[in-house]
Amino acid sequence: MEFVSPEGLRLDGRRPMEMRQIRAEIGAVAKADGSAVFEMGNTKVIAAVYGPREVQNRSQQINDQALVRCDYSMANFSTGDRMRKPKGDRRSTEISLVIRQTMEACILTHLMPRSQIDIFVQVLQADGGTRSACINAATLALADAGIPMRDLVTSCSSGYLNSTPLLDLNYVEDSAGGPDVTVGFLPKLDKVTLLQMDSKLPIDIFEKVMQLAIEGCKAIANYIREIMLENTKQLEYRRGI
Amino acid sequence: MAGKPGTTPTTYSPSPTTQKTRRPIFNENDVDWVRPDGRGFHQCRPAFFRTGAVNAASGSAYAEFGNTKVIVSVFGPRESKKAMMYSDIGRLNCSVSYTTFATPVRGQGSEHKDFSSMLHKSLEGAIILETFPKTTVDVFALVLESGGSDLPVVISCASLALADAGILMHDLVASVSLSCLGKNLVIDPILEEESYQDGALLITCMPSRYEVTQLTVTGEWSTPKINEGMQLCLDACSKLAKIMRSCLKEATSTSQE
Amino acid sequence: MVGLSLGEKHFIQGGIAQDIRSDGRKRLTYRPINVETGVIPQANGSARIRMGATDVISTVKAELGKPISLQPDKGKVSIYVDCSPTAAPMFEGRGGEELSTELSVALQRSLLGGKSGAGAGIDLSSLVVVEGKICWDLYIDCLVVCSDGNLLDALGAAIKAALSNTGIPRVQVAAGASGDEQPEVDISDEEFLQFDTSDIPVIVTLTKVGRHYIVDATTEEESQMSSAISISVNRKGHICGLNKRGGAGLDPSIVLDMISVAKHVSEQLMNKLDSEIAAAEAGEDES
Repeated sequence: MEFVSPEGLRLDGRRPMEMRQIRAEIGAVAKADGSAVFEMGNTKVIAAVYGPREVQNRSQQINDQALVRCDYSMANFSTGDRMRKPKGDRRSTEISLVIRQTMEACILTHLMPRSQIDIFVQVLQADGGTRSACINAATLALADAGIPMRDLVTSCSSGYLNSTPLLDLNYVEDSAGGPDVTVGFLPKLDKVTLLQMDSKLPIDIFEKVMQLAIEGCKAIANYIREIMLENTKQLEYRRGI
Repeated sequence: MAGKPGTTPTTYSPSPTTQKTRRPIFNENDVDWVRPDGRGFHQCRPAFFRTGAVNAASGSAYAEFGNTKVIVSVFGPRESKKAMMYSDIGRLNCSVSYTTFATPVRGQGSEHKDFSSMLHKSLEGAIILETFPKTTVDVFALVLESGGSDLPVVISCASLALADAGILMHDLVASVSLSCLGKNLVIDPILEEESYQDGALLITCMPSRYEVTQLTVTGEWSTPKINEGMQLCLDACSKLAKIMRSCLKEATSTSQE
Repeated sequence: MVGLSLGEKHFIQGGIAQDIRSDGRKRLTYRPINVETGVIPQANGSARIRMGATDVISTVKAELGKPISLQPDKGKVSIYVDCSPTAAPMFEGRGGEELSTELSVALQRSLLGGKSGAGAGIDLSSLVVVEGKICWDLYIDCLVVCSDGNLLDALGAAIKAALSNTGIPRVQVAAGASGDEQPEVDISDEEFLQFDTSDIPVIVTLTKVGRHYIVDATTEEESQMSSAISISVNRKGHICGLNKRGGAGLDPSIVLDMISVAKHVSEQLMNKLDSEIAAAEAGEDES
């Protein structure tokens, strides 16, 4: 199947190096300590952060660090065919673990010992790249909650179809069976914190694809920074400063 | 029996209980329609209660209303499992389950999932929870045969079992349900009537205090109809409570002898 | 949620007794309602309702299925509510299941009417395609994103908005199918049938605190309630469903009084909802 036309256009009309349209909103869930909605094209994700708060399960308490927990769930209506059992399946458990490890690496957990930080991510619409959208949403939510972090974590996915590296795959391109590289990146520190890949790639092409994903992450980081500045201006305005 | 379909089979085969097409059991214009079991519209089924059915439990009761047979056992007050959650009032834990042979078609469980929480809501207003802090009372109800009007029978039987266990309550809890078939209101519907109903009303009340602890209405009702329905049910509840009281008195008098 | 101190509890109860609640509302006033339709383009219909801090999303998906053999001329509707952990940390995993089941059953009771289908808010016979063989199955899925009290009202309103936003594709049935064969159906991508939602009831929850009833309680007010009744009223003023929650007993005359208050409030709520839904749909058409 043709994923990249001879003129260089993808199925949804994008260029190979072009990302989908991103949109973010801070403070969607009023009751949470921090929350954000992140949209990448048709993929829409809500993240809510509760914490730091007292550890619920005493046996899991860590004496010199905060405990970070994460829960990923998809809504019934998020995929094209209605899902019967949204919670507890293996994919959700794996993605919860991945998000937890990524965020835990950048939260300054030693500043909040004996406490617990809960990150809940809910997928409202899934159209490829849910993992990346979740990490971006979680970053924004953690920032909204005022939790100290080393740097923003941004994430983007890229693939390689029809001999072209493609940035930000959607569901159709993802399910084509080609390689899918997800990268989690710390822009200011210039470090990679998450790297996952499906299928197989020769090493030199892998480097190109990964570099493309990192470029995507940097672009998302700029956008996230703008959104946070805008949000802070709003807060200042409401405070009357 | 006249009009039996088909010839008698030579080898045993179970009689077909489900029919492909359904004939309505009543006609809208038929004024003097009689219910399938011959009762009047405002007549309840004869109630049979017996306490002390399960020896191992702190208290238990068995109830039989026509074809609906329910057995409830109460364990407690016993130590709360979640010892870290201190509470200065007692906890009530209810569970309603159906046996697999209770319904004509094996294992239909979709409507009954919320019966446990409804039983909890009906009973928590009647039990004086302050008398047993830090402990839990477990109420387990098992429906042996579902013949219509299951939840009201479960609630009434559960309150009898609680009384048998010696748990302090404000009053006995009696419960009755009502079906609306066309323009008629029929009390204590059987399974067949329930499947045709246009609306249902379930009331749980404490008769001597004249308080309603649980009320559920399904279907479209106009206000005067709800009024009428509630009055009918409350009268039926007080009669039911009298029967329950006499059963308890009998149980204690036989045990005293 | 942080617990309430004794002083705060007295404040809430005293305020309600004097007809001024913590956020300045009167006893029978709703919080501002914000309706957005078409939030989930993948579904046949969707809506998002915000009542103060309570935020719920409702979607409708229609799939072709087989009608139940006992009711061959009616389609099927199933309602399912899911409490997302984003609403409260305790909803993680199986924690929110009890609340979800309770809400799903209450909604089914209010919207689907009696077993014979009479009094249902949704006309099931309009969902049938080929009698006895093919009908539309409507799956109404609701997600509670943020919970600040009064979930049932918000869910009822969201379902009403989602259904008015629903488009069922037109189906072409191949002629000449006979007997037990499954007829060929051709689902068109272009034409859509709009759902008729004028009969769908609204749910009004009256919470009794002390001796007074309030409408649209927040979580703090709900923690102080002695009992609550959720009444579903349709346009004709008939009661389509009633659920009582809370442990305290109620005098039957109080119940009837609450029913009449609910009918009065429901008229205002229904008008407000209709105008908000119309505005949301108009806004969506323009964009």
